[in-house]
Amino acid sequence: MLSEGMTLPDVVFPVMGADGMKSVSLLDILKARRVVIFAVPGAFTPTCDAAHMPSFVRTADALRQKGVDEIICLSVNDAHVMRVWGEQSGAAKAGITMLADADAAFTKAVGMDYFSPKSGMLHRSRRYAMLVENGVVTRLHLEASTGVCDISGGETMLAEI
Amino acid sequence: MTISVGGTLPETNLVHMGKDGPEIVSLHAKLKGRKVVVFALPGAFTGPCSTAHIPSFIRTADAFRAKGVAEIMCISVNDPFALKAWGEATGATAAGITHLGDADGSFTKGLGMDFTAPHLGLIGRSNRYALVIEDGVITKANIDEPGVCNISTGEALLAEI
Repeated sequence: MLSEGMTLPDVVFPVMGADGMKSVSLLDILKARRVVIFAVPGAFTPTCDAAHMPSFVRTADALRQKGVDEIICLSVNDAHVMRVWGEQSGAAKAGITMLADADAAFTKAVGMDYFSPKSGMLHRSRRYAMLVENGVVTRLHLEASTGVCDISGGETMLAEI
Repeated sequence: MTISVGGTLPETNLVHMGKDGPEIVSLHAKLKGRKVVVFALPGAFTGPCSTAHIPSFIRTADAFRAKGVAEIMCISVNDPFALKAWGEATGATAAGITHLGDADGSFTKGLGMDFTAPHLGLIGRSNRYALVIEDGVITKANIDEPGVCNISTGEALLAEI
């Protein structure tokens, strides 16, 4: 289960690059860097689109000024859906990396998956934001419910680092 | 179970984005007593699906209706949130095409139409096919080889009815 002090497992993600798909290792992204990762139940879902994502679009520059090397939005979606969501939500413009946990390998490995079959949401990620320093979780803001965005927003993270 | 002319599709619950959020839809309820077109593809916002397959049914939607087709349905292994965004982006929703999500991929797997391409981040997705179904019985079946969009297009199916 995801917690502060935990070293994140290494997972390989397919990432949409300018020349097509490539594989990126999470370990390579995190090594010797300060990274903010926020996870959402799904691209284009109401709370993610209306609240969570915009909070990081608003705070991306300020987070970088505080020494954050990369801001990543993670979701159990494919890279095609994530690319378009990144463009439509302003995330791409704000320099936020869209990371597709397509087979939910990372989300399952950290015990963050949940099911809502009635909504067509299977093995999706609970909503959280974390600061990761050299691969170790140093701040974790995990929402009690997937439908709210109270403590996992960009402003809360910014205030703490 | 495989798809064949004279055969039927198994009953399954698919998910659709309704006015008030995701709704579960019975496939057999959609088929009963009606002449419909069902086509399937790998996924929302993927290359050929957005640029070739969906547009072919947008172009032919009115002609299908003129030939007595009551509804044109597109099935893919996606959640209803991504499908809603995609339907609006491509013009499929405006053309009256219904997007149905096989969210857990079980319908697609049951038909043996699933493929997995981890390097593309596509897990358990559907190959392309297009069917005419009359009162639950498949009367035309155009099934494409994996990776191509030739005989499952709107024009190819329209030419047969």
